[in-house]
Amino acid sequence: MENLGLLKLQLLYYGIRAGEGLPSPLANPFGLVHLVLPDKTPVSVHRNDNGRESPFTLKKDGARFHLDIADRECVPVKWTPPLTCYQKKTSSGLPVADILTVHGDFIAVHPSHACRFGQSGLSCRYCGSSKELSQHPPFTPRDLVEAVQIVLKEKRCDLVALSSGRVDTDDGGVEKLAMWVAEIRKHLNVLISLDLVPPASNDWIDQTYAMGVDAVYYDTDFFNPNDEPKKDFEKHKTRQLEALEYAGKIFPTGAVLSHLVVGLEPLEETKKSIDLLIDRGVVPVLTYFPPYDGSSLRARWTATPEAIVPLYAHLYERLVRTHINPQWVQQYDVVLTPLEGRFFSEQSARYHLKLKHFYETGFGRALRFGLAGLRRHLRVREVPRG
Amino acid sequence: MKIKIDTRPLWIVLLSRWWRFPVYVLLGYFLYRSYGLTPPTGLTIEGFRALMVFLTCLILWVFHLLPLPITGLFALVAPPLMGVMSVKQAFTFFGSEPVFFILGVFILAAALLKSGLSTRLALRLLRSSAKSPKRLILQVMFASALLSFIMSEHAVAAMMFPLVVIITQALQFQPQGGSYGRILFLAMAWGCVVGGIATMLGGGRVPLAVGILQESGFGTITFLEWSRAVFPIVLVLFAFCYVLLTRYYPIDVDSVEEADKTLAEQVAKLGRPLLEEHFLGLLLVGAVLGWMFLGHRIGMATISILAVVLLFMFRVVSWEDLQENVEWGIILMYGGAIGISSILNSTGAGLWLAHTYVVPHLHSPWILIAVLSLATILLTEAMSNSAVVAVLLPIGMSVAKSFGLDPKVTVFAVGTASGLAYALPMSTPSVALAYSSGYLRLKEVVVPAAIMVAVSYGALLLTAKFWWPLLGIRI
Repeated sequence: MENLGLLKLQLLYYGIRAGEGLPSPLANPFGLVHLVLPDKTPVSVHRNDNGRESPFTLKKDGARFHLDIADRECVPVKWTPPLTCYQKKTSSGLPVADILTVHGDFIAVHPSHACRFGQSGLSCRYCGSSKELSQHPPFTPRDLVEAVQIVLKEKRCDLVALSSGRVDTDDGGVEKLAMWVAEIRKHLNVLISLDLVPPASNDWIDQTYAMGVDAVYYDTDFFNPNDEPKKDFEKHKTRQLEALEYAGKIFPTGAVLSHLVVGLEPLEETKKSIDLLIDRGVVPVLTYFPPYDGSSLRARWTATPEAIVPLYAHLYERLVRTHINPQWVQQYDVVLTPLEGRFFSEQSARYHLKLKHFYETGFGRALRFGLAGLRRHLRVREVPRG
Repeated sequence: MKIKIDTRPLWIVLLSRWWRFPVYVLLGYFLYRSYGLTPPTGLTIEGFRALMVFLTCLILWVFHLLPLPITGLFALVAPPLMGVMSVKQAFTFFGSEPVFFILGVFILAAALLKSGLSTRLALRLLRSSAKSPKRLILQVMFASALLSFIMSEHAVAAMMFPLVVIITQALQFQPQGGSYGRILFLAMAWGCVVGGIATMLGGGRVPLAVGILQESGFGTITFLEWSRAVFPIVLVLFAFCYVLLTRYYPIDVDSVEEADKTLAEQVAKLGRPLLEEHFLGLLLVGAVLGWMFLGHRIGMATISILAVVLLFMFRVVSWEDLQENVEWGIILMYGGAIGISSILNSTGAGLWLAHTYVVPHLHSPWILIAVLSLATILLTEAMSNSAVVAVLLPIGMSVAKSFGLDPKVTVFAVGTASGLAYALPMSTPSVALAYSSGYLRLKEVVVPAAIMVAVSYGALLLTAKFWWPLLGIRI
C-alpha cells in the first residue's frame, strides 16, 4: 500500500470483510473493529456486512493479522481486542457500553440522549449512540465518572469528550454540560472536551474555559444549500465566525476544533470552510463517515476517498503554515486526523510527530495535563460585574 | 462576580501573577544571610536582627506583598526565629491593651451598623435639607464627620454610601452627568476623612499609634488628650472642605426637595427605634464618657470590652453578626505592628537607626515634625494608613528621642497625618467607595484633593506650632 492516509480513508469508506479463523468477538458492541495500521495509525472500521463490496479482508496468520487488499496486496496490521470493560456495570447497574464509547485515546459521551444520528435509528459511529441507547434509563454524572474509571483501569485514555447534542439555547449547550464537567474534574485527572454550538455571547466561551474544559468542538455550518433565507444565514455565519475567533483566543492553540463533514457538500465548499476556520485559529477535523446503505443521506453522498485526498493535504499544509497545534486530535480512530494529513503532503511532520510521541509518554502526559491546569489557573479571573 | 479570561501573553500573565514569589525568596535569603552577619558598630546582635525583620516587614507592607494581617503575623513569628526574643515574649504583643481596645471599638461599630442605629442617626442628620442644595452638601458632610467621631470612618462610609446613592437617584442624576452628584460623594468621603481624625474611634490607626507608644515604654495618650490636640484641625478642615466643594465645583441643581422627600420615606420605613437601639445608644454614650474620663484610670480596653460584654448580656447583637462586620484581619496586623515597634525600641535598633541615618540630616525638631507629617500624608495616599503608622512611627519616635523630644509628639503628627487621604481610591475605603459610585474621575478630583492635602498639612503644622504648646505638648 503506497499511502497509509489513503488506506485509512478507504477503510473508513468500505469497511472490512472478516476472513476465516478470526477471534470472537471481533468488533466492539457498536460494530467497530479496532486496528492499528503501520506507523502507529489507529483506525476503527465497521464490518462490511451491509452490502457495500469492500476490497479489504482482515486475515489472521498465526498470531499476526494482515489486511488483504483485493487478493493483490498485504498490509500488516495490529488488531486490538474490543475492550472488556464495555460489559462491566457501574454501581447503579448500567453497562459501561450504555454510557460511553472509546475511540483511541479519548472517550466519547452523550450525557443526555442519543445524538441526532443515533436517534434516526442507526448506530452513530462517533458516539456509539443509537435509538436503543436513548431508550435506556438516563445516567448520572456519578455513573459517568464510574464508567470512565472502569475504562481507565483497562486502557489509557487522555480525554473525555462530552457532547451537548443539537441545542437552540444561547449558551450553545454549556450550561447543560456544566455539572458533568464539574463531576469529572472533581474525580478524574483527564482532559475534557465539549461538543457545542457556537454560543450567542462570548461570555459563555469564557465560562466554558473557566469551568474546566480543555478543548471545544464547535458545530458549524458555513455552506448554505439554499435551505435558509440568505440574510438569516449570513447573520448566523457571522456570529459563528465571531465566536470561533474569540474561542481561539481563550483556549490553547489548536484546542478549538470544528467537525466538517466531508462529502455532503461540494468539496470546494469544504475547502473554503477549512480556510475560514484556520484563519480564526480553529482546527478543522474532517469527518468522513460515509452513510450506511439505507440512510437518507446516502443519495447525497459523492465523495470517494481518492477525491477527498487534496482536502486533507490542504488542511495539513495550512496548519503547518499557521503554526496551529494539531495535537488535540491525536488518536482519533474514526477519522483521518489533521496530523495524518501529512501522508498526502511534502511538508515535514517531524516536529509534530516528536511532540505526539512525547505526549504519549507518562512524563509527557503528566506535563500536558499539568500545563493545561496551570494555564487555566493563570488565565481565569473573577472580576466584579459591570 | 463575573468570569474573565486573561488573554495577555502567558509570560506577562505569569509575571503579573507570580512576581511576588521571587521577591519572597529574596527576602527569605536576605533574612537568612543577615542572621550570620556581624552587626555594625553601636548595634547589638539582637538589634541588628530586629532591624532586618523590620526592613522585611516594611517591604511587605509598603509593596503589599502579603495581606497586611499576614505580614502582622509574620512580624510576630520572625523575631523568635531570628533569635531576637523568646516565642512566649513575642506572642504577648497580641495581648496588649490597644489591641483589645480596638477590638472592642470594632465590635461596637459593627453593632451600630447591624442594629440600624447608625443609619437612623445619619437619616436624622440628613433630614430637613430641602432648603438648598448647599445645605444638603453641608448635611452630608456633617453626618459623615459626626458619625466618624464614634465609628470607624470606613464603616461610616459604607453606611452613608447607599444613602447618598438614594439621594442622587431621587434627584435623577446620572454618573458623569453633572457636578452636584460628584460633590455629594466627595462630601461623604471627605467628611468621613476629616471626622475620622477627631477621636480615637475614627479608625484603627490612632489606637495603633498609641499602642506602639505604650508598648515602647513612652507612656500613653488618653482619649481626651487626643481629641483636644486635633480638634482645631478638624474644625479648620471641615470648614475649608465645605467651602472648597461648593466653590470649586458648580452647583448645577436648583432644588433638592425630591431628595428630602425620599429621605423622609426612608425614615418612615425605619419606624420607631427599637429597644435595642435605645440601649445601644445609651451604651455608646456611656462608653465614650468612660473613655474620656476613666480611660486613663481603668484602661481604655477595659471600657470597650466591658461595653461589648453588656452588648451581649442584653442580646443587642449575635456573634454571627459580628463575624461578618468586624475587621478581624486588622486586629492581627496591629498585634504584629505593635510587636515589631516594641522590639526596635527594646533592642536599641530604632535609636541606632535614627542616630546613624536620620538625625544627621535633620537640623531641628521642627524639621522632624514637618518631614514626618509630609511623608505620612504622601504615603497614606498610596498605602494603608495603618501600614504607614507601623512603618514610620517606630523610626519617628526614636528620632524624637534623639532630639530630646517627647515621642508623643510624633504620635500626634503621624496619627493625624495618616488619616488625611483624599485623592486616590487606594488611599482609604471611604474615598474608594466614592469612586465606586461612578460619579468621580481622578482628573476631576486631583486638584481639589491636592488643595485639601496642602491645607491639611498646613493646618497640622500650625496646630502643632500654636495649639499643642497650650496643651503642654512642646516641640
